[in-house]
Amino acid sequence: MIDLTEVTKIYRRGPEEIQALKGISLGIAAGEFAAISGKSGCGKSTLLHIIGGLEPCTSGRVVVDGRNLARLPDLELTRFRRDRVGVVFQSFNLLPLLTLEENVALPRVLQGISYSQAREEAGHWLQEVELAHRRGHKPHQVSGGEMQRAAIARALINRPAVLLADEPTGNLDSATAGQILELFARVHRDWRQTVVLVSHAAEVAGYADRLLSMQDGVIL
Amino acid sequence: MKLFLFRLSLSHLTEYPGRTLLGILGIALGTAVYLSISLAAASSLKSFQAGVTAVAGKAQWRLKSPGSPLNESLFARVRRLPEVKAGAPVVESVLEFTGPRKGPVLLLGIDPFSERPFRNYDFQTGTGLDREAWLQFLTQPGAVLVSDRLAAQKGLKVGDPLPVLVGPARHTLKVAGVFHSPSGLYPLEGSLLLMDLAGAQELLDRVGQLDYIDLILKGDGDQAASRLARELPPGVDLVRPGTQGRQLEGMVASYRLNLTVLSAIALFVGMFLIYQSVTLSVVRRRREIGLLRTLGLGRGQVLLLFLAEGLASGAVGGLLGLGLGVVLAQSALALMTHNLSSLYAPVQATEVVVQTRLLLQAWGLAVAATLIAAWIPAREAARTRVRAVWYREELEERLQNRSGTFGVLGLLALALAGFFAVLRFGSGPSLPSFAAAFLILLAFALFTPFAARNLGERLQPLLRRLLGPPGDLGCRYLSGSLSRSAVSIAALACALGMLIAVAVMIGSFRQTVNSWVTRSISGDIFFGPAIFSTAAYDHYLPREILPGLQKDPDIQDIYLYRCVRLPFKDRFLLVIGGSFDVLAKYGGLWFRQGDTQRIMQEVGGESHGVPADTAARPTAPGSPKPNPPYPPLEKGGNSSPLSRERKSPPLLKGDLGGFFGSSKTVESNTDYRKQETENRKPAVVISEPLAETFGYKEGDILALPTPAGVQKLKIAGVFYDYRTDGPSVWMDIRQFRTFWPDTRLNAVRLYLKDKTKIAAVQARLQEAYGSRYRLLTVSHQELRQGILKIFDETFALTYTLEGVAVVVAVFGIITTFLVLIMERERELALLQALGASRGQILSMVLVESGLASFLSFVLGALCGSLLSLLLIYVINKQAFGWTIQLHWTPGIYWQTLVLVLALGLLSGAYPAWRAVQPHLAAILKEE
Ligand SMILES: Nc1ncnc2c1ncn2[C@@H]1O[C@H](COP(=O)(O)OP(=O)(O)OP(=O)(O)O)[C@@H](O)[C@H]1O
Ligand SMILES: [Mg+2]
Repeated sequence: MIDLTEVTKIYRRGPEEIQALKGISLGIAAGEFAAISGKSGCGKSTLLHIIGGLEPCTSGRVVVDGRNLARLPDLELTRFRRDRVGVVFQSFNLLPLLTLEENVALPRVLQGISYSQAREEAGHWLQEVELAHRRGHKPHQVSGGEMQRAAIARALINRPAVLLADEPTGNLDSATAGQILELFARVHRDWRQTVVLVSHAAEVAGYADRLLSMQDGVIL
Repeated sequence: MKLFLFRLSLSHLTEYPGRTLLGILGIALGTAVYLSISLAAASSLKSFQAGVTAVAGKAQWRLKSPGSPLNESLFARVRRLPEVKAGAPVVESVLEFTGPRKGPVLLLGIDPFSERPFRNYDFQTGTGLDREAWLQFLTQPGAVLVSDRLAAQKGLKVGDPLPVLVGPARHTLKVAGVFHSPSGLYPLEGSLLLMDLAGAQELLDRVGQLDYIDLILKGDGDQAASRLARELPPGVDLVRPGTQGRQLEGMVASYRLNLTVLSAIALFVGMFLIYQSVTLSVVRRRREIGLLRTLGLGRGQVLLLFLAEGLASGAVGGLLGLGLGVVLAQSALALMTHNLSSLYAPVQATEVVVQTRLLLQAWGLAVAATLIAAWIPAREAARTRVRAVWYREELEERLQNRSGTFGVLGLLALALAGFFAVLRFGSGPSLPSFAAAFLILLAFALFTPFAARNLGERLQPLLRRLLGPPGDLGCRYLSGSLSRSAVSIAALACALGMLIAVAVMIGSFRQTVNSWVTRSISGDIFFGPAIFSTAAYDHYLPREILPGLQKDPDIQDIYLYRCVRLPFKDRFLLVIGGSFDVLAKYGGLWFRQGDTQRIMQEVGGESHGVPADTAARPTAPGSPKPNPPYPPLEKGGNSSPLSRERKSPPLLKGDLGGFFGSSKTVESNTDYRKQETENRKPAVVISEPLAETFGYKEGDILALPTPAGVQKLKIAGVFYDYRTDGPSVWMDIRQFRTFWPDTRLNAVRLYLKDKTKIAAVQARLQEAYGSRYRLLTVSHQELRQGILKIFDETFALTYTLEGVAVVVAVFGIITTFLVLIMERERELALLQALGASRGQILSMVLVESGLASFLSFVLGALCGSLLSLLLIYVINKQAFGWTIQLHWTPGIYWQTLVLVLALGLLSGAYPAWRAVQPHLAAILKEE
């Protein structure tokens, strides 16, 4: 499903160069739940963004779901992000203007399906994350855990090939974090969803198939 | 502690330099425009006042006859009266330099031996004014003394020739010496010539006449004055010198007030910018405020913090504005003196007098405006609960919920505006109507949140269907970010409203003037020394010309025109004598009510004029113009069978007043007097501005001061008049000459037999008289063009002021979108991460900014249309007495729509385009 070979990423800030990824080769099979951990600044988010097509790599080959991301034109890349990837962020990143239901429906709407159908599906996914009763609320009216559950529903509504999560529990207390991790595990278990999850939390080990640890831009 | 906090504020100002700069610039521009107008107005009036004071000198009293010269013999008589300590006879006229040195110059004809107690001009004996020059001044025709300032300005030396126009006639004066005014005050910025009285009388064709006599009385001034007044012949008034300045001030008060109010609009729009800027800063710093409050900062301190931020922008912007305003005042002054000179009286102010009072006033206004604008969001900030996680969306929701209340408040403001619009105190421009204008602007500003919210919500389903997600989200963003966008939309709407209102008003006015010229000014050729410069009341048609015109075979009829200007209450009044029988024949004057023909006959046509059935029926307002406009009349008007039957002597063209030695006309004059004694008050017509300014109606009696004493005149009709030089009274010229017994004419209108010969006759007249005189021969078409040109020049300043307000508002809309989109960078990146394409994001932003601009336009157009009605039917009517016919000008609506949409879309597209450029990840990186 995910196939990286010799991927590097260099950030240039004026004359200064920061090498965030230093030649990463990695394969993640379909249906696998991979957890990445490592010290702050070791390049976890960068790696995740490159897999999700949010950021180009400097060199190397990135193949996700059969697509070579480096070769994809902008429009294709947009379509790839829209149809094949679901992303969950640490700070939830819901659109404050939209209700939870509308937030969840957004990727489907962007695909161009009808609003009523998108909302219906969103309702279904909100039920999956046990938020059906909150569907009409705006993000600022619900708790952090609820926001993150809505964000997960949004990431799943397109039935993406890969679900990427960047420290999804970083802003939550440990009890809520447990619920969220449980949700990821369930998704992985029930639908054989490929999941790549970045986390500092030790308890993630209990849910993932595979543990990867990074240090200073390389996978150990 | 405090200092530290303000440093925090300051750092916020510098953190977003673009936004801060635009806010400051907006205030600066507003202040600058306001200041420049008030400086220019003050400078030109001050210069005029200085002139009046300089000419009055130490005179306590002045003898004048309304609109006419005094007999010279009066001076000798008055001088001998026991009350009079000193007296000085004066003739004066504004001449015009010709040749390389242009511009107006005031000529004072004085008696140097009587002058000393009054003006005490220093005839500098050292600089060439020796015995010989002195002798020359007294004896040589055309010898003048020039002021030292004029000599310096124009590089004049003793012996230099000075080519000038005296009325229409070309003369060459000679510099006999230079004088100095110890008071330092000069009229017309030093453009002053002194001439010996006798020489000046001859030059001005006023032999045996004086314009006024200045007096210093003995003992108790007022008692002596009242004793003196009793000894004066009828028609001679004893007045205080210097009232002239006050009358000019009264006359230009409306002009000035209109400009001041217009210039304040830019500042008003600038207030929105400051409000906007402080609101954004409050919204952005909400976390910081919460934190500071937990750390023990009081409510008052929070309020102060944000007020200080607004104040800093206001103070700096105000200061910048002061500098800019002084610079701008120079150009405003040039435009204004040009306007005032062509509209009212010669004014020649070239230097801006920078008055500290006006500077402080403008700066204070800027600071006050920013404080008010900053106060509202600062209060909002101060209300923040301690430790509360304050989401922007809470503020948005509060605003959305309150938008209905705002709308109701807006309706109340509109109702109040309607009330003020019908309210009226006294004469002249009144404050309630300006308050009404302000309330209309306010009302539409208050409608904005409601309108933005509803527009967004209503259009959402439609745009969703049409454009998909971008349409949907664009609408949501419009109705969901009122706290940031509503103010800019309101500011732009206000500026556009003013622009549209002023454009519709000016457009309607121009159309009205245009059709007025067509409908109520008849004549093929207008011939005289000063056709357009209505301020030249003492410019006469040379005497030799009229007989020549009467003999001219191409000319069918001649309309005689005589005009004087006299002080009347706190204004100047024009009294005009014209050939009413010619008017009755060819049409002219456009009465607001009553039967034109009957009015014309009542004023002059009945006993002397042409029989009604041969006369053209002048068009009444609203009825179509007859075609052809001038029905044929037999030459001289005396071969018509009806005329022959009449007992009164046959009518000769142009020979109506009969002051050219014909005995027949003396008879006709006695006829006139007889009518008066038969207890019938002479009838006149008055202009609408006169009626409106002083509240006269048809049928009222007007008490008019004349050299023949105060006359009671019946107002037979009120006609539309758009001359800018003030209210006027029109009467038949024979009537006029019973009050002002002279034979002068200011101009004539010629009616030709063959309309195709207009150009040929014009050329012939120029050839015959052009070398000796400067006379204008203007065709009807040229007259119309000339009048419209003056019209456009008059409103150039108005348009400029409006333009500035729009520029300020455009600043607002640009900042708003820059900030709005930049703040949303993260959300836009998120949308991209979720799979929105760049095109979708761009079109979403364009939907939002397009709708916002469109809304500004709609609100502005509605507000502008209402305001234009107010301007046309209330403010202008009150200020100038003009009835303006409303002419809808759709052009201005289209133009503003295109302008606003283009600007709005561009100012949204630019930041949106920038937002979709960088890599998403960089923006999405966790905080
Ligand atoms: N836009 C950028 N410009 C320059 N350097 C960057 C940028 N983004 C990341 N970096 C650098 O790249 C390195 C890797 O960053 P990355 O965000 O991937 O770390 P991380 O492992 O996610 O850390 P954390 O656990 O704190 O989130 C860091 O040294 C970071 O400073
Ligand atoms: Mg990270």
